[in-house]
Amino acid sequence: MNEFLQALVNGVISAGAIALPAVGLSMMYAVLRFPNFAVAGIASLGAYVAYLANFHFGLPALATIPIAFVGAGLAGVLCDWLCMRRLRDKMGPDGMLTVAIVSIAVMIAIESALRFTFGNDLRNFDVPLMRDVTIVGMRVSPQQLSNLGIAVGVTVALFAYFRFTRMGKAMRAVADNPMLARLKGIDPKTIAILTIFVGMGLAGVGGTLLGIDTSIDPLTGTRFLLTFFAASVLGGLSSPAGAVIGAVVIGVAEEVALIWLPSTYRSAIGFLAIFLFLTFRPQGLMGQR
Amino acid sequence: MPTPTPRRRFLKFSASGLLLSAQPLALQHAFAQSGDIAIGALSPLSGSGAQYGPPMQKAIAAVIKEVNDAGGVLGKRINLITEDCQTNPEAAVRAARKLIDIDHVSAIIGLWSSPVTQAAAPLCWESKTVIACASGADGLTLLPHQGYLFRTQPTTTLQGRKFGEFALSQNAKKLVYLTPQTPFVQSMTDNITKAIASAGGTVTTIVYEDKKATYRSEVDRALAGKPDMLILGGYVADTAVLVKEIYRAGFEGKMVAFAYAVNKQLIDSVPKETVEGIFTIAPSPAEGSGAYTHLKQLIGQDNPDPYTCQAFDHANLVTMAMAIAKDSSGEAIKNAMRRVGTAGGEPVTDAVAGIKAIAAGKTIDYVGASGPCKFTPIGDVVDAQFRYEQIKAGKQTLLKIA
Repeated sequence: MNEFLQALVNGVISAGAIALPAVGLSMMYAVLRFPNFAVAGIASLGAYVAYLANFHFGLPALATIPIAFVGAGLAGVLCDWLCMRRLRDKMGPDGMLTVAIVSIAVMIAIESALRFTFGNDLRNFDVPLMRDVTIVGMRVSPQQLSNLGIAVGVTVALFAYFRFTRMGKAMRAVADNPMLARLKGIDPKTIAILTIFVGMGLAGVGGTLLGIDTSIDPLTGTRFLLTFFAASVLGGLSSPAGAVIGAVVIGVAEEVALIWLPSTYRSAIGFLAIFLFLTFRPQGLMGQR
Repeated sequence: MPTPTPRRRFLKFSASGLLLSAQPLALQHAFAQSGDIAIGALSPLSGSGAQYGPPMQKAIAAVIKEVNDAGGVLGKRINLITEDCQTNPEAAVRAARKLIDIDHVSAIIGLWSSPVTQAAAPLCWESKTVIACASGADGLTLLPHQGYLFRTQPTTTLQGRKFGEFALSQNAKKLVYLTPQTPFVQSMTDNITKAIASAGGTVTTIVYEDKKATYRSEVDRALAGKPDMLILGGYVADTAVLVKEIYRAGFEGKMVAFAYAVNKQLIDSVPKETVEGIFTIAPSPAEGSGAYTHLKQLIGQDNPDPYTCQAFDHANLVTMAMAIAKDSSGEAIKNAMRRVGTAGGEPVTDAVAGIKAIAAGKTIDYVGASGPCKFTPIGDVVDAQFRYEQIKAGKQTLLKIA
């Protein structure tokens, strides 16, 4: 029983880091209608921005989170502006495959630019490493708890933004029915830029949390691309709330299954979950269509 | 026309996207330069071996330049084509395919990781192309490679035994071997077990998946049996995550790792306390040999790692084998490879001197920067020494070479 609870705790902790990029991915898909693969490159870029702020400018790790958000968000908007905007505007919904392919090129370009600038070396945030503490028989890491807290805080803030602000509501409106939103006077282009900024910002924060917990290299984001997608698919593709739940389901399923299975099957468990969902509940956990 | 559902559209995009993302190599080096003799260098410039590939290719390029500057081999210049295996077997197969089919190389050298060599080797022997690698997995030379595969890295049979013997010398009998899935997991486990079984030791192997953000559950399982020593069998990226998890879990016992994983890059990138006291084992370069000194001068580096030394040897061996065979085909190189190190021949430490001696009708005995470079009939290196180090105050400290 204790082993099961420990696996549950481990799963929730690992879900914290993958939830944010998955949410970013889902919200961009909801508004722009294509899977923006550049999210993986931007997650690494955000982590490097935070790393520079932490290591070279001496900011505490927590203070680098907003910087990573803004840096990654701006980079995401810039990439879209340079590489994807015109295609998005010209192509209808059926041309979005082209845009998705361009986003892969952007991901590779960002990854290569990071490698060119920083090299392949692993880089470590300047944060003290603490031993785990035992709470009611469960081993938890203070650093990982703090990361989970940040992930939860950012998610709550995001949902408050969606629910209570004018722009948040406009984003939901465009995601729900772009035509109707346009009739109501909402400019889809502004909303698209804002969505990319927030979505990529979340990816940057996710990359930073991964980096604070482990270390960063140009492949930090790419390594987790499939997991981000898995969480997003499980949640229903275009539902940010679903992506959070998807991340928790994948994280917990992977850890709990390790009690009975060799850990080489970790990823297989995530994909088995996707397979089952797409077969029996294709709209995902929170999807409407 | 019905509009596809968002889910279908998403899946269509994702599937095409993921397929395409696996094709960056198709865009690289679409056109090779034409040259008299083509040799390929397929080393990891990205991925988990990215630290080792660049100096390996630098050493190979330096040897080829040296040979070309001295007039080439068989009166022809050598054209070196470099590719990135991305430390990824699929990428390596695409790169090897390109080297063989488009560039028509007669040898592919400088391969590093075992999974990459295992994937690229069949293409090589089927096309009669020599493959020289720095990979250790036992199974590689047991493949039906018809003599085309040579390795300068000691086998994992030997490495596993050394790990086991070292654990015993540290009074550790209850071992846990934590490793990602590689072609050498089984042979490492078997040979560590063989080395410690007589003293009553046991090994538990836990195979984990690399590319994960956390290994908490794996570490929980590893520490459940209260081991005396952990053997870390991964590469740099996963080991960086692992050592932090082990530290957080409060493990105070001993740890030993491959030196290619717990290297300067890792030590510099993780908090010092996580790696303090870790022992490392690596094949030792032949420090003090003429070839080692020559390599240091050639690439302007004081302390070349074992894989750079091996890549340097690959380039020298292949060029001298061509000179001996008076033919630059893969088959000719394969047949002449063992004659580069003929006992009793004129000792040489670089290809330029070797090619001159061969032209003068002499037999040669090349002793390389990584060791003697003598091969068994299946392509394993005959003799190897190991370097034992320990991380003390954040620095690799030499314990012994044996």
